[in-house]
Amino acid sequence: MRTTISKIKTEGSQTTSRQVGPKKKKEIMNVENTKAQMRKGVLEYCILSILNGHDKYASEILSTLKDARMLVVEGTIYPLLTRLKNAGLLNYRWEESTSGPPRKYYTLTETGKLFLKELDTTWDELRSATNLVTNKK
Amino acid sequence: MNKTVNINLANVLFHIDEDAYTKMRRYLESVKRSFANTPGSDEILADIEARIAELFHEKLADERQVITQKEVDEVISIMGQPEDYMVDEDIFEDEPRPRTEPRKSKKLYRDIETKYIGGVCSGLEHYLGFDALWIRIIFILLGVFTGFGFIAYILLWILVPEAATTSQKLDMKGEAVNIDNIQRKVKEGFDDVADKVKNADYSKVKSTGKSFFDTIGDIIMFFFKVFGKFIGILLIIIGAATIIGMFVGLLTVGTLDWFHLPGLDGAINSITGAPIWLISLLVFFAVGIPFFFLLYLGLKILVSNLKSIGNIAKFSLLGLWLISIITLIVLGVREAASHAFTGSVSSETPLYLENESDTLNFELASSEFYDSEEHIRMNDMILIYDDEGKPTLQSEDVRFNIKKTNDTVVLISVRKEANGPSFQEARQTAERINYGYTQRGNTVYFDNYLTTQDQSKFNDQEVRVNLYLPEGQHIAYNPSNRRNWTIRAQTDKAISSLEDYLWKMRNDGVLECQNCPDEFEEDAEDGDNRIRINGEGIDININDEDGESFKMKINEDGVRIKAKDNDDEKVDINIDSQENVIKIEAQDGDTTMRKTISKN
Repeated sequence: MRTTISKIKTEGSQTTSRQVGPKKKKEIMNVENTKAQMRKGVLEYCILSILNGHDKYASEILSTLKDARMLVVEGTIYPLLTRLKNAGLLNYRWEESTSGPPRKYYTLTETGKLFLKELDTTWDELRSATNLVTNKK
Repeated sequence: MNKTVNINLANVLFHIDEDAYTKMRRYLESVKRSFANTPGSDEILADIEARIAELFHEKLADERQVITQKEVDEVISIMGQPEDYMVDEDIFEDEPRPRTEPRKSKKLYRDIETKYIGGVCSGLEHYLGFDALWIRIIFILLGVFTGFGFIAYILLWILVPEAATTSQKLDMKGEAVNIDNIQRKVKEGFDDVADKVKNADYSKVKSTGKSFFDTIGDIIMFFFKVFGKFIGILLIIIGAATIIGMFVGLLTVGTLDWFHLPGLDGAINSITGAPIWLISLLVFFAVGIPFFFLLYLGLKILVSNLKSIGNIAKFSLLGLWLISIITLIVLGVREAASHAFTGSVSSETPLYLENESDTLNFELASSEFYDSEEHIRMNDMILIYDDEGKPTLQSEDVRFNIKKTNDTVVLISVRKEANGPSFQEARQTAERINYGYTQRGNTVYFDNYLTTQDQSKFNDQEVRVNLYLPEGQHIAYNPSNRRNWTIRAQTDKAISSLEDYLWKMRNDGVLECQNCPDEFEEDAEDGDNRIRINGEGIDININDEDGESFKMKINEDGVRIKAKDNDDEKVDINIDSQENVIKIEAQDGDTTMRKTISKN
């Protein structure tokens, strides 16, 4: 227990020192970058929401996201889908397509559904909080 | 007109323009590179290819249409540039990385940007943190003085991959592998293990038994890792040292033959019939290749990203090794077979003395060459050049026996023996042995050496001379020098040499000493304490004033031990190699125990 306390203390002292003399880390703040990062941040949530209730394959997910202007290029989604699948939130099955190559249909797993439910509440809280903060100004 | 290429994207066939294909391929390669470190990159890439196939499929009206640059550009603009694929680690990290996760350590690559030859030294500069200049100097010094520098350089050149991609270059220049860092890493490892032990103690043991064993496993793994590095270093040292040693040996022994040192080439060739450089090369491969693999294994343990030497190299080394082993075995068998048979040639000649009652003088003449140091000796054989300059082998494997004959004249029997691959050849080799003796008056001069022009092989050439004396024949032995020749004869006196005395052949084949002084009487009590060890054997004689004594003689005639406590208690052990008898006698007062072991 003692070690834990001392750790917290050192962390605290670091925070104060950072406040007193902030280290200048040079980073180019780009509006486009920030926008992209914001979008990417909620992308997982969006994908899980799209899959809630209906199984879909990559192109369908993509068209929904593109229609909502959540996504500019398609490439971003593939690493994300794989990551969600590896995390056990998604599952997939192959289905033959009448035109073109076979399609990978994604499904939400039970964990994925629980995960989504939690994200739903968080998103609600976040939205109201953001509203509260931005409207006050 | 434009050439088209057929491609298979997600199991769908497309015809594509050559330049469009090049563009597509470059695009996919750069996308792949941006995933290089992401888990499941193959799967992501397969998904992307499937999507691209779908997009092409939508764009093409019928299957015969060819994909051009235009379609490729459109697809790329839909899919996005490689940078867009990159996942922003800060945002998408599923969970914060644990604090104790080891920092990515440096890897050994060849730096081809600042290279002189292969970039090995500049790569080592990054890896070890020394200036490349020093590393180069060390390599050059090692190369010039031992030759190992060159081998090591070429080996590293082959085995260490070059830093081609950016991530490899970053890995190459990453954290230096120096003492500080190693120390820190070991400490981190210890802390890690220590943490796990603590955690396991308080909570995890209760919740799940498995984690406790996991912890033990971690501890064991940690020590295995440290241990493994040591083994790796050890393997490298052993492998490298052996290979250097073998290499130096190969250069010195193997080239002897090429230089044709006078007097040496023939002698060395005679051992097996195969040239010595071939033998040493075979031995070099047979021993060196396993050690090379040991070295390689050690390097592999130490340097994680070592390139494989490739299956072709591995199998050809294995093949070379097998060939060397088999050839050595074949040569060995051939060598053994060439000694399998023994052949001999005997001749018997009478020796006429001027007067039958004269004493036969028996002398040995040694070769003028044998004592000189300028000749090569092998197995008691020396290689000399005779007056005509012909190389000749000379051996001292000549033995003499003095026996009794029922004839009335002295007989000399010379038996020449040699080994060979067949009885016939052994006999022929034996026939080629030159051996001689000369008679001058009543004196016979026996050569104590044999010679042969047969210089192909050492075939255990030997000569046995039997001197048959009729009963009553007197003989005297006068050696020309003080060397000990092997003369076997049964004498009635326990002395080791015939020289200086006159002997007479008795009826039972034993030589009787005619003028030996009495001190040679077996129980001669000369009261003189001595321990003598010389070419004749060991002679120990200890007497004290109380009449207790200990005598021991070990020589070619056998072993004789006598111990006396006083006049009543005696022990006598006699192992007589001439009569092939072992006699044990013990006396205690009036009781005497005797035991004789013999053929009869």
